Amino acid sequence: MNAVPKMRTWLALAWGLVVCLLLATDGYLWLGKHIAPDTDILALLPTEERDPVLQQAFGHMVDAAQQRLVIVIGAPEWNDAKRAADAYNAVLARHGDLFQPQSAATEVQSDWLAQWSRHSLVLMTPAAQAQLRQQPADYWVEAARGRLYNPFSGPKLGAWRDDPFGLFGDWLQERAKETPVRPRDGTLFVSDGKKQYVVLPLTLKAPAFSIAAQESVLPALREADAAARTQFGAVEILKAGVILHAAAAGEQAADEVSTIGVGSLFGVILLMWASFRSLRPICLILLSIGVGFLGAFIVCWGLFGRIHLLTLVFGASLIGVAQDYGIYFLCSRLRAAQEVDSFALLKRIMPGLLLTLLTTVIGYMGLALTPFPGLRQMALFSAFGLIFAWLTVAAWFPFIVGKKAMQSGALVRGYGALLARWPRLSTRPASYVVGLLFLAFALAGCLRLGVNDDIRLLQNPSQQLVKDQIAIGRLLDSPTPVQFFLVRGATAEVVLQHEERLTARLDGLIGQHRLGGYQALSNWVPSLQTQQARRALVEDKLLRDGAALSKLGGELDEEKDWPAVTRAHLLESSALLTPDEFLASSASEPWRFLWLDHAGSSVAGIVALRGMDNTGAALVRQAGIDIDGVQWVDKVADISSVLGKYRAYMGWVVLISYAAVFLLLYPRYRIDTWRVLAPAAVASIATLALFGLCGQNLQLFHVLALMLLLGVGVDYGIFMQEHPGRKDLTPWLATGLSAASTILSFGLLGLSHTPALQAFGLTMLAGTALVWLLVPCFGREGA
Amino acid sequence: MKKLAFLFLILLATAPTQAAVPVQKIEAMLDKPKVLCGRFEQSKQLAGMKKPLASSGRFCVVSGKGVLWRTLQPFASTLRLTRNEIVNFQGDRVAVRLDAQQEPTVRMINSVLFSMLAGDLSQLDKLFDVDGAIEGNGWHVVLKAREPALAKAIGAISLSGDNYVRGIKIDEAGGDRTTISFSGLQSGEQAMQPEEAALF
Repeated sequence: MNAVPKMRTWLALAWGLVVCLLLATDGYLWLGKHIAPDTDILALLPTEERDPVLQQAFGHMVDAAQQRLVIVIGAPEWNDAKRAADAYNAVLARHGDLFQPQSAATEVQSDWLAQWSRHSLVLMTPAAQAQLRQQPADYWVEAARGRLYNPFSGPKLGAWRDDPFGLFGDWLQERAKETPVRPRDGTLFVSDGKKQYVVLPLTLKAPAFSIAAQESVLPALREADAAARTQFGAVEILKAGVILHAAAAGEQAADEVSTIGVGSLFGVILLMWASFRSLRPICLILLSIGVGFLGAFIVCWGLFGRIHLLTLVFGASLIGVAQDYGIYFLCSRLRAAQEVDSFALLKRIMPGLLLTLLTTVIGYMGLALTPFPGLRQMALFSAFGLIFAWLTVAAWFPFIVGKKAMQSGALVRGYGALLARWPRLSTRPASYVVGLLFLAFALAGCLRLGVNDDIRLLQNPSQQLVKDQIAIGRLLDSPTPVQFFLVRGATAEVVLQHEERLTARLDGLIGQHRLGGYQALSNWVPSLQTQQARRALVEDKLLRDGAALSKLGGELDEEKDWPAVTRAHLLESSALLTPDEFLASSASEPWRFLWLDHAGSSVAGIVALRGMDNTGAALVRQAGIDIDGVQWVDKVADISSVLGKYRAYMGWVVLISYAAVFLLLYPRYRIDTWRVLAPAAVASIATLALFGLCGQNLQLFHVLALMLLLGVGVDYGIFMQEHPGRKDLTPWLATGLSAASTILSFGLLGLSHTPALQAFGLTMLAGTALVWLLVPCFGREGA
Repeated sequence: MKKLAFLFLILLATAPTQAAVPVQKIEAMLDKPKVLCGRFEQSKQLAGMKKPLASSGRFCVVSGKGVLWRTLQPFASTLRLTRNEIVNFQGDRVAVRLDAQQEPTVRMINSVLFSMLAGDLSQLDKLFDVDGAIEGNGWHVVLKAREPALAKAIGAISLSGDNYVRGIKIDEAGGDRTTISFSGLQSGEQAMQPEEAALF
């Protein structure tokens, strides 16, 4: 150890101090603070610079939806469903800290109807308004008389004279149709004709995306399920809520982290054992990877204050690259002459070692420049993980790995012998033929490559949850939170007028069965303009002397003053309704999310849509296209288009990275630089062509994998160029070990059930294998 | 009719309790024929009107099917309540049709009206406080909705009868009052007139 340079000792000790700090901090974070990674997939998407009103509108729709959990409990007989629901509720009541039940009683205030009494004359359906214009007085006389003699007009909204023509009653009936859910026996009820369902709307008290909430909510629901089944065995229990998806996705990702991480490690360990017949190299590589992982975690936590679960999944794949440095050093040690000491050896391979790190980190820096917070996190996590792993190798390995530490196994000898027979690219005709064939294959494949940027590719929701959600959506006929109209204007009156123009067109689409219905504040509070027009119409067609009311009085043989008295009575309820008055009433509680009054200087309303398929959505969108202040909002399409933009953007980053790496390598390799890059480039093109031929659509995550492939491929290219010729087996060995373990880890990623990760894994699987096979072909003739 | 449907939205919010003793006794007095038809006379005293409005016609209650209510005087209007819909005919024309798909409470409305006409007091007891008395061969009950909001809206309903329901009185909170009396009651298949059977 006398030969150890003093500087190196200091560096190793300093690095030891850093690693101790990392360990302490990680221990504090994980064990002391119990931090948990994020699972919200939306956190991976860019925070767009949008106008605040739109953001608020989306917040209204999504925040409300996000914290909601709907349980629907059904049985053929109402009493069975009710008993099961009571048992369910009893369990939930014990978990009052988790759920806020939405009681039916708050929806059915006893003075609910009284709130309308001052306005009933001006509230009517658009259809009734049209009929008022068209129908003669006799029509209305007949209508009123029919209602008058109606045998069971017993229970009704007020006395007959409060609404003799039934306009207000029809309006309320139409409002009731906005939801099929009805109060019954102190709870909410809905039916599909076959079964009777109790609806339990719940609001979560903790954020849906917090792991703690998921961990306590799910068991509580399972307990409630069991309780309901003891009451009625065949009970049908449907559930829908963001939290269920978040929990399922979180569970899946957590599962996969352990499968992929453990599987990858196990594969690598086996491989190393077969190569070196010793546990020592494995421990060393694990050490470097471990320090890299812990260090990256701390840096990310420090920079972002949080860490996403997908970052960790991606980080698990870091093993594939971080091992390269250790492997390179160990393989060099294995092949180096016994008299060369490890410090001299490190010095000798340092240029190549440094280049492998720099080229990969450059690639990740390109990733860090994207506006996706998730990608930035992954990029920084990876870059720092690699730097920490590299520093561990550089600072410690020469101390730990002595001159005679390494022994090669049988696998190494057999595999090493392969290199001598490996084909090499040359100027012989055969090479041109192969080149031309490849070109044809690449062209054919790449031309077939389609793209698909659908956001739904990022997730793979549980089939059961999706089925439940569809069933509940159909039962409750609830509006979609991701597609709606945002209607803006300078004043509330303007917004309501815009909404009315829009809803008039939507009514046409409902008639054509393209749209199930819509919810809008203007349904409840028509614009003042409309209310005035309706009042004028009522006065002219019904109340005026000689109109329907006085004819009716004559027909019923009432006193002379009856029409005048009744008219005066009706006009008492002709006050115009304002949004403020409505929003202050308890009746508006379920509809307040439709109105955004404090969104900046202007006022905005939401027109929510329900019962709409994809073709319907296209038509509905058209309906709003040329109305002032009306904007179609489609969050799914928006996010998908962002993903598409970044797929294209990332494509350019990959190309620029190739150029940057080329420039970085040129001073060292000069004319042979292309040989370093060619394997990665050819493998990438071949992988894309393969996907094209298999009918896979290109998405962002394929392109991200190509980025990583560049880092891996260039590492192997550098190994080869650092040891030209085929006598030195070091690069071939390092490439083989590294590529095999990369494939092991990414092959497992290809098994992921999250489509995005699968795309990533498959790209790496095919790409890495190809790079491995191609690297010797591009090697220089032996020196 | 639509008004009525809406009102029932806020109805039906109560837990069934043990029926009071007179209800069971009254039930025992009632015949429950499969088909019951007869004449009705209806008189309405509406708020703000001096004169009562009289109407009359025929009705049928068919168990398992529903209710047919034919106003014949002063003008023809037929109301048919079946399990899944409520239809109002003005002559042959369908003036109003309300089905259970559109309005989930249709079934409950129909069941309540059926129970009222057929005198199915134990069914009514689920929704109403039934306060009854027996006098000789006859009986008399007052129904008050258990749900306060509903009680406020419909006021009090009283039924009277012997082996059949003979009269219904509805006192609404809004001030309208309806009195219906039944006569010429017949039971069995032959009670139905051919045009009535055709409507079911």
